[in-house]
Amino acid sequence: MRWVVPEAEHMSEGTLGCQGCGGALSMRLVLKEVGRDAVGVIPACCWSIIDGPWPTHALDIPVLHTAFETAAVVATGVKAAKTIQGKDTTVIAWAGDGGTFDIGLQALSGAAERNEDILFVCYDNEAYMNTGIQRSSSTPTGTWTTTTPDQRPEARPKKDIMGIIAAHRIPYAATATAAYPEDLERKVKTAVETKGGMRFLHLLSVCPPGWKMEAHQAIEVMRRAVRSKVFPLYEVRNGREYTITHWPDELPVEEYFSMQGRFKTLLSDPEMLEVVRGNVEERWQILLGRHQRSHPEMAPTN
Amino acid sequence: MNGLGHVDDYPEIPVSLAPTSALLKTGAWRSVRPVVAKRTAPCTAGCPAAIDIPAYFDEIRRGELESALDRFLRRNPFPRITGRVCPHFCEQGCSLAVAADEEPVSIRSIERWLGDETADRPHVVEAEPTSKRIAIVGGGPAGMAASFYLRRSGHEVTLFERRDHAGGVMRYGIPEYRLPQEIVDHEVDRLAEMGVEIRTGVSLGDDFSLEDLEADYAAVFVATGAGKQRRSDIKGESLLEPGLPFLEAAKRGEGTALGDRCAVIGAGNTAMDVARTLRRLGAHVTVIYRRTKDEMTAIEEEYERALADRVKFEWLMSPREVKKARNELRLILDHMRLGEPDESGRPHPEPTGVSSELRFDSIFAAVGEIAEIGTFPERMRDDQGWVDVGADGSTRDPKVFAGGDLATGPATVVQAIAAGRAAAQAIDDQLGFSHLWPEEEPVDTVKPAEVNPTYMPHHDRADDHEVEVVTQFAEETATLSDAEAAEETDRCLSCGYCNNCGTCFVFCPDAAIIWEDGPRIDHEFCKGCGICVVECPGHAMVLVNEREVSNV
Repeated sequence: MRWVVPEAEHMSEGTLGCQGCGGALSMRLVLKEVGRDAVGVIPACCWSIIDGPWPTHALDIPVLHTAFETAAVVATGVKAAKTIQGKDTTVIAWAGDGGTFDIGLQALSGAAERNEDILFVCYDNEAYMNTGIQRSSSTPTGTWTTTTPDQRPEARPKKDIMGIIAAHRIPYAATATAAYPEDLERKVKTAVETKGGMRFLHLLSVCPPGWKMEAHQAIEVMRRAVRSKVFPLYEVRNGREYTITHWPDELPVEEYFSMQGRFKTLLSDPEMLEVVRGNVEERWQILLGRHQRSHPEMAPTN
Repeated sequence: MNGLGHVDDYPEIPVSLAPTSALLKTGAWRSVRPVVAKRTAPCTAGCPAAIDIPAYFDEIRRGELESALDRFLRRNPFPRITGRVCPHFCEQGCSLAVAADEEPVSIRSIERWLGDETADRPHVVEAEPTSKRIAIVGGGPAGMAASFYLRRSGHEVTLFERRDHAGGVMRYGIPEYRLPQEIVDHEVDRLAEMGVEIRTGVSLGDDFSLEDLEADYAAVFVATGAGKQRRSDIKGESLLEPGLPFLEAAKRGEGTALGDRCAVIGAGNTAMDVARTLRRLGAHVTVIYRRTKDEMTAIEEEYERALADRVKFEWLMSPREVKKARNELRLILDHMRLGEPDESGRPHPEPTGVSSELRFDSIFAAVGEIAEIGTFPERMRDDQGWVDVGADGSTRDPKVFAGGDLATGPATVVQAIAAGRAAAQAIDDQLGFSHLWPEEEPVDTVKPAEVNPTYMPHHDRADDHEVEVVTQFAEETATLSDAEAAEETDRCLSCGYCNNCGTCFVFCPDAAIIWEDGPRIDHEFCKGCGICVVECPGHAMVLVNEREVSNV
């Protein structure tokens, strides 16, 4: 194999993810690097379903299914118990964007502020997909969902969760996506090895039904999100040191949007498209500035 | 509430202990299924010898050079030769160039590298002796290839060559700086070592007839090439020097430029060879062609090299007449323009009515050659008087086969090799020994739109190096280094051939591709999302409709 991705498999076949599920792929790739010495905590989200109905379960690691708002705090408790047992088990809170950006934010912020020794992973598919594609605070401007229909698509920008997390000055936070598996595995490894404090991974995870697209384009759409700067890949150490890990290549944002039915209205509205394009560029410039301040010795590579 | 203290006081909670795979056969969701499929790569489709390029590249990547060579030899016995002189039709179709706007993989350079790396390996006879005797007439690429395949199949092969050495156009036509004689010698020696009997200095027509051979041999393959200068309609043609004999003399070290100002008429590969050889002999050279650069038949890189050698080109000039005047030749040229396409598909040159005159010390004609077929009896000719030859080399006489330039007119070494191989297979078949020719299932060719170049390493294409030429006819390029060959092989998308890159495995959201040193698709759980098929760099997977494969 030519990929630097572990061959070991810790996710079973027969999961209940939809065809082309980015959430299932994210879990599969993350666990490859984490290994079996871990406990998962999953609040209400797609993965509550994907993991399989009782008495089945899809992962090699034990998982506690918990209430929507509690992923971070349950993980904190599990970690405390493991510590009392004298074990160095990695505890992963695994939440969707609802359980991270919205309903789980208070517990997440608390755990981050206390710098709990857990790994919080948000697999972000940018709406409440499992319950029927309702908007979340992660839904980007101009998006169709069932609660932001074509007549009035999402008006507000996507919440800057990485900014919020960075503000807690936790040791390690990073964005990643399954379209760049080696970058993702490296970040998971770094997160697992950065013990003793809170680690946060923000994974863009395609949802073919919710994004209104063909399942076979699932990887390509995530790749285009990165290439068009809609979802830059970077890591933040101690909330201050920013490093861009993959340099985008000036792909026009339309090349990302046009693959997805949820942006049909946006694409037909030049004014809104300009706003979105401006937002993407503005966020990129802020990130670039932070990267350059963190690495004054390194010139940008493009 | 109840003062839960001890662990035994806690209520039981439901725990899942069985994996989802025990209960949920998600393969039932699927309407299409991915299947790993061997398909034809565009490079292979473009190659007259149909070499399975992605497959032998994969063997090179895994360090299995012996297997790579074996696979190569199934279609072409002379990688050291075609690795140097082939116009690499394969590279024209390379998916990287067509789909990703990258330079095509340097296939010919890798072929050359493989040939040179394995040059020490002797050829082996793979079949039991058949005691069938076969005569091959003509020791050029077609005859040598046919000898190789027939000898390999266990037959007793005698190769008749009218000159002192076998090699044909490879020895006497292609200049030393492109193809050193020692390489051709080496291939001839390897044929002799595997048991091909090579008889030189005997020629069909003078020393024996076709009927003589038919009486003594089980089959005859005639590949005497196309060595006769085509007549042109230029007045004073007898003042022109023919190109091929000049190249042959130069190859023997007896070439002279016949003056300082030389012209070459024509723009095929022979014309480039003549022009560049003349430059090496110190002459100023002008190539004269009645069409333009875009219609010339020479390989693009030979044209580029001729330019680098400072050969001058006069386009849209059609020679009408040559006159001798004192110590020089005057060439009257009609100026042309391009008209409608003719039967060759290229725009036909038409006179503009303007003409001019250029003066030279000597003028070389390289306007093409035709086959000498006087030795073929009338019964084997078609209505036009040509020898009637089928695609497999068969003629109207069941014991006689023919091929190469003799049948096609001047073509390339690789086309002659393919013709020699096809005839060898037909002869072997006819004699009832078809077991050494594995049938290859016809498969569809990978289309540029299907490949995914995202994951290939983006580095520059590696070409043979230009070398500092120490003597005027020394080989002008050097073979790739091992490291360069390895890097270049990595650029290949492996169209239609699974080289176990692992891309399908990495991206499967359902863990339904099991990795066993290669992908195994678990159809019990594969949901049919199709990610593996579109992400596969070389599209060596296809989606098949379940209705076509399912039993239910």
